[in-house]
This record gives sequence, structure tokens and C-alpha cells, in this order.
Amino acid sequence: MTDSDQQGSERVDVDRQTGQGPADTELTGDQRRAERRAGIALVVAIVAGIGLFVVYFSGGQTQIEGILFAVAFGALGVALGIWANHLLDAREVVEERHELTSGPAGRQAFEDALAEEVGPVLGRRSLLVKLLAGAGGALGLALLLPVLSLGPAPGNSLKVTPWRRGLRVVDENGEPVTLNQVPENGFLTVFPQGHEGAADAQTLLIHVRPGTLKLPPDRLAGVPEGTHVAYSKICTHAGCPVGLYRAESQTLICPCHQSQFDVSDGAKPFFGPAARPLPQLLLGVDEENILVAQGDFTAPVGPAFWDRGR
Amino acid sequence: MVERSLKYVDERLGTASLARKTLRKVFPDHWSFLLGEIALFALVVLVFTGTFLTFFYTPSVKEVVYQGPYTPLQGTEVSAAFNSVLRLSFEVRAGLLMRQTHHWAALVFVAAIVVHLCRVFFTGAFRRPREVNWLIGILLLFLALGEGFTGYSLPDDLLSGIGLRIFYAVTLAIPVVGTWVTYLLFGGEFPAGDIISRLFVFHIMLLPALLLGLVGAHMAILVLQKHTQFAGHGRSERNVVGKRLWPEQTFKSVSLLLFTTAVLALLGGVAQINPIWQYGPFEPFNVTSPAQPDWYIGFLDGALRLGPPWDLDLFGFTISEVFWPAVLFPGIAFGILTLWPWIERRFTKDRAEHHILDSPRDTPVRTGIGAAGLMVFFIMFLEGGNDIFGVLLNVSVETITRILQWGILIAPILTFLATYWICKGLSRTRLHPAHINAGVRLSRTADGGYETTSLEPTSSDGEREPTRTGG
Repeated sequence: MTDSDQQGSERVDVDRQTGQGPADTELTGDQRRAERRAGIALVVAIVAGIGLFVVYFSGGQTQIEGILFAVAFGALGVALGIWANHLLDAREVVEERHELTSGPAGRQAFEDALAEEVGPVLGRRSLLVKLLAGAGGALGLALLLPVLSLGPAPGNSLKVTPWRRGLRVVDENGEPVTLNQVPENGFLTVFPQGHEGAADAQTLLIHVRPGTLKLPPDRLAGVPEGTHVAYSKICTHAGCPVGLYRAESQTLICPCHQSQFDVSDGAKPFFGPAARPLPQLLLGVDEENILVAQGDFTAPVGPAFWDRGR
Repeated sequence: MVERSLKYVDERLGTASLARKTLRKVFPDHWSFLLGEIALFALVVLVFTGTFLTFFYTPSVKEVVYQGPYTPLQGTEVSAAFNSVLRLSFEVRAGLLMRQTHHWAALVFVAAIVVHLCRVFFTGAFRRPREVNWLIGILLLFLALGEGFTGYSLPDDLLSGIGLRIFYAVTLAIPVVGTWVTYLLFGGEFPAGDIISRLFVFHIMLLPALLLGLVGAHMAILVLQKHTQFAGHGRSERNVVGKRLWPEQTFKSVSLLLFTTAVLALLGGVAQINPIWQYGPFEPFNVTSPAQPDWYIGFLDGALRLGPPWDLDLFGFTISEVFWPAVLFPGIAFGILTLWPWIERRFTKDRAEHHILDSPRDTPVRTGIGAAGLMVFFIMFLEGGNDIFGVLLNVSVETITRILQWGILIAPILTFLATYWICKGLSRTRLHPAHINAGVRLSRTADGGYETTSLEPTSSDGEREPTRTGG
């Protein structure tokens, strides 16, 4: 008893691997039931498949198609699962692992072969080999040149926007914006005339309550009537449009990462991940009462980049 | 017929003996070994549904006027890309099913990879000789994330456009070369017109080619090195105990493929995902709120929300506040993950080959570090939904952010300590899985008594004392 047990089930498994399983001769009750259930599942899969034809050719319906696909695949999976669990002569099998390495002798043999075959070819022509490496390197770098065609040189482009002195302030449809067009506590997304929709020129024109702005005189000079203040709409954190305005606290909020900017205090950030204020656009009013820009923004707009301060 | 074609192939390629060996190949049986298979099967679904989608998608930002059946957008200027996805969703029969199944499959694909990665990490399956396959697996994770993000951006809708905008800010934040990298990648200042067609080439050609090639290598190495197994009766470092490729594993795996497909088709049919017609076309000056990316990018979005407002002036050059959470943190975290097999070896000095898996409780330090790392990502993921939780819990977004900022400093340490303590406790109990699996063998003796044989593996394999109990 103990003797036969010593090799445990391993030996039994190996024996059975070559032998005929009972499945080949006669079915047990369990197997007959399993066969019936697997059969039913396969019929369900067939019906669902036919159903898909019907649904597709009668115009298609996303939900029913999804359900029928799921039923068809699922029933097929159930059938195979039953088959695997009840109808296969499943058994544990032991497989030996083999050494992964070719061993020191094998490696030595390879090294010898390498020395024998490669050495005479390359070893005696060291100057040529060096030149070959140089040629390869030069060509390799030259082959990388087309990568530079993928984009323009950044140059100054991140530091400037289309806003220029005297350009009229317009809305996204190109309609000029007049003084007091935006009601008190209201705000409007504006652009320089001729650049409607330009991503880097998007600006928020906010009509704040009189006397609430705490700006230095040179900044206040760009706020018509002391109430029409304009800031870049691009968050200085990750560049989302700063689209939420809380009029009672005069706070701008970026919906992406919740940076909050104090409109009355130069749009300085006071909560969230943004580190720099939204750049201000200094405004004036022309003779037709239309808002115009006094120049570009007070700082580069949008997220920070390496040579931003240069 | 079969015999003749076998002969034809074998005489030319000599594959018969290899095929015979392959049929007999043994794979250990454990539910956790199926996680990688789920990823593989989700990939199969992705390839099929994705191929269908490319036949209808137009990778262009050219403005067109939408004239399809979705009335709220009729007459709106949209990009050709957005237009083609609307057409696919509303006019192509079975198009919406394919699109939604593709999106769900992508979510499941990354999720299965992450859970599979956790299994490999916590059981020490990355140890020698499997370090190379660990590296390939990590690369596959990155490629899957890249595939997810590029695919998510293709419809050119408002939500994904914002995601692209944030990605642009992240590449801009790379020190020294950020501006150049960004311009080469995007083709100029955001939103440069080439980006959608470039994303398309990445999504359907470059990344899939790498991904499929590496999946092939991942599995070839698995076959070559043979699968790891948990400790148990009759299992040693020198063998593999399990089921053969044919028929057991084949039936099981095909069954799992079918179930995976069934679940994905069901989700694709009945669970709406990424309804771009509700977000509208991308305009650089519009924004939606709340805005959440797909789940696997959530940690990065959360990291950006948690990040401190610290930008740095370095001799006139700027290091963006985006750099810390979105460049430095992922760099360090994924760097540690990538190099983990070597980092761990530095401390354990364990250079031996391992084919028997660790039970996570027996390696409390590794398990604790893994749990702490997951906690870091989980807190970031939570913060990625801070605006949603704010509404749900009726708490201000500021409060949630403050709590999670403290949480990310404290919770990982507590997680490590708790995990370490639990592991130590569990490994002292008799409830060890390797022991439970073994059980006892009960046999009736000639004289009517019973013999129980413990099947617990012992140090010197083969010596098992039968214990006699009265009968």
C-alpha cells in the first residue's frame, strides 16, 4: 500500500495517458446529462445566429444585435465548457522541465565558432571596420533627418497670438463687441477680428461689478470703464478652456483640473494646480464704441514650456 | 485528405514532430493564469471590430456640414472625422455595435493586462528566467495605453479634444526638448491640422504592429520557458503539472474566448459608451464639465488635479507645474515597475531559477510594496473623478482634493504596514493554500480500518507517513 503510494498520483496519471479512458466505451449518467446540456446550448447558439440574420435584414437594432451576439457566443462557450468539464477524459499530466541553458560547453563552442569565423573577416581590417562603423553612424543620423519635417521649428510661436494693437474684439461669429454689450456679471468668449476660433487667441471678456478690480494702474488702464476686463481663456496649467465663471465671487474655474483664478486680482490662481495667472489682454474702445485690443497678452498664454521666460 | 495535407506540409516544413509535441504541451491549471488570456481575447475582438471601423472612418479635420439623421447636430460644421464616426454610429448597420464593442474591448483589454500584471508581480513570476518576458509585458502595457489614448482621440469630439489638449501640455512640460518634441508630434501649435491623421497612423499601424509582434514574442517565450505553477502535491521546480494543450486547455481557452466575446458584444450592444454626439464636435474654445477620460488615463488626470502649483525658474528657463505629476511621477513609477525584477534582486540576492510561484503572503515586503503602489494609483484615480464625487457626496471639490493630497502621502505607508501585517499573520496560520490543496487520501484497509495519507508536500519529496486511525 505504502509502496504504491510513494509515487502518488503521478504514476497513475502517466499510466492513464496511454490507456483507453472510460469515455470511449460507455457513457456514465453524468456524461449523458452533460451531453444533453451541451446539445441544448448549441441549439441556443444556432437559434441566436439565425436571429441575427433576421434582425440584420429587417433593418438592424443595436441592442438586440448585441444581446443575440452575446447569447450565440455565450451558448457556444457554455457548450465547450460542459464538454471540457464532463466529456473529456481530463487528467493531470506531468511534464519535465528541460534546462533552458545550452551550458558552458555550448557557449564555449559558440564563442570558438565566433572567433573562428568572425575574427579573420573583421579582425585584420581594423581601419575598414572603423570606417564602416563611421559610415553606418553617419547614414543612420542622416536617415533621422526626415523626422525634422514632422513639425515646424517652434521659434516664437508659443509666445505670440494674433492679437495686435487696434484689432477689434469680436465674438465667435465675427460680430464686433461693443461696450456694455455683455451685461454686468456676464462673460463672453471673444477673438481678434479675422481670427475667429483661433485656439491661442481665445479670450474671456468679463463685465465685473464696478470698483471690484484690484489691479495695478497700468493693468487697470486696459480695462474700459473699470469693468470690462479680458483674460486669456487658456488655462495656464494644462491648456483647457477656462469655461466656468462664478460671478458672485468673481472666480474663474477650469473644469479639467479645478484651478481657480481670482478675476478681481489679476486672475491669479488661488486653488488647484495652476501656478501662473491667466495673462490679461489690455483693451480700449474705438470711436464706434467697439472694444479693441491695445496689443498682445501680458504674458505667453497657455501651459508652461521650457523657454517660456526667455 | 487530412493525411495527405499533413504529409504535404511536413515534407516541406518538417512540422509534424513539433506539432505532436505542441499537442502534448502541459499548462498548469489555475484561474489566475487565465487573466492574460482574457487580455489576448479582448485583443482578438479589438482587431476584428477595429478593422471594421477603419472601413468607415475618415482621418481628417476638414470641415464639413453634418447632414445625417441625428437632428440636434444637423447643419453644424464638424470635422470629416467626427462626421464619419456619426455616420458609422447612426447610418451603418451594426456600426454602433461594432464601435461600442471596440471601445468596451479596449477598456477590458487594459484592465486584463493590469490584473495580469498584478498576478505576475504578486506571485513573483517575473523572477529568473522570466525577466525578459516581464519587460515585454511592460512594453505591452505601454502600447495598450498608447492604443487606448490614440483611439479615444480619433472621433475628434469635444471630450477627446480636451484630452489631446492636456496631452499637448504634458509633452510641452518635458524639460529642454519639450517644445520640439511637441511640435514634431503634433505638427505645430495646438490644434495643428495633422494631428488626427497622425493619431490614425499610430493607432492602426505603428502601435498594433509593435503590439502584435510583442504579443507573439511574449507567448513564444512562455512556451519555451514553460508556465510557472503554484506549489502543491507532486509539483516541483523541475516539472510542470497540469492539463495538456489538447484537448483540455484548448476547450477551456476557446470557451473563455467565446465568453469574453459574449460579454463584450453584450456591453457593446446594451451599454452606451462614448456618445460623442452628446459631447459635440471639438472646438478649441469649448469645454465640457465634468470631464473624465477612459479609466486607464484616470490616474494621470487625477495626478494633474492633485499636483502642487509649483513651477520652477531655472536660470530663466521654466519647469512647468505639469512636470511633477505628469512627467516625473509616471517616469519614476513606471521606471520602478519596469526594473522591478532587478531592484528586488539587489535586496534578496536571489539569482536562482524559479518555476514555483510565491504565495503573496510568503513575500510580505514585495506584497506590501505592490499594495502601496496600487494605493497610489487608486488615490490618483479617485481624484480624477473629484468633481463627480463632489456632486455625489455633496462635498466641495476643494475638500476632496485636500483630503486626497494628504491621502496620497499617508495611505500608501498605511497600506504597506497593513499588508505586511496581514501577510505575516496569514503565513503563520495553517490555512496556507499550498497545504489546503493537498488534502488527505483515505483508504480502506483489508481489516475494515481506514488509512489517511497526508498529501502535503514535504521537504524530502516522496516520504509520506500514513496515519492509522481506528476502524
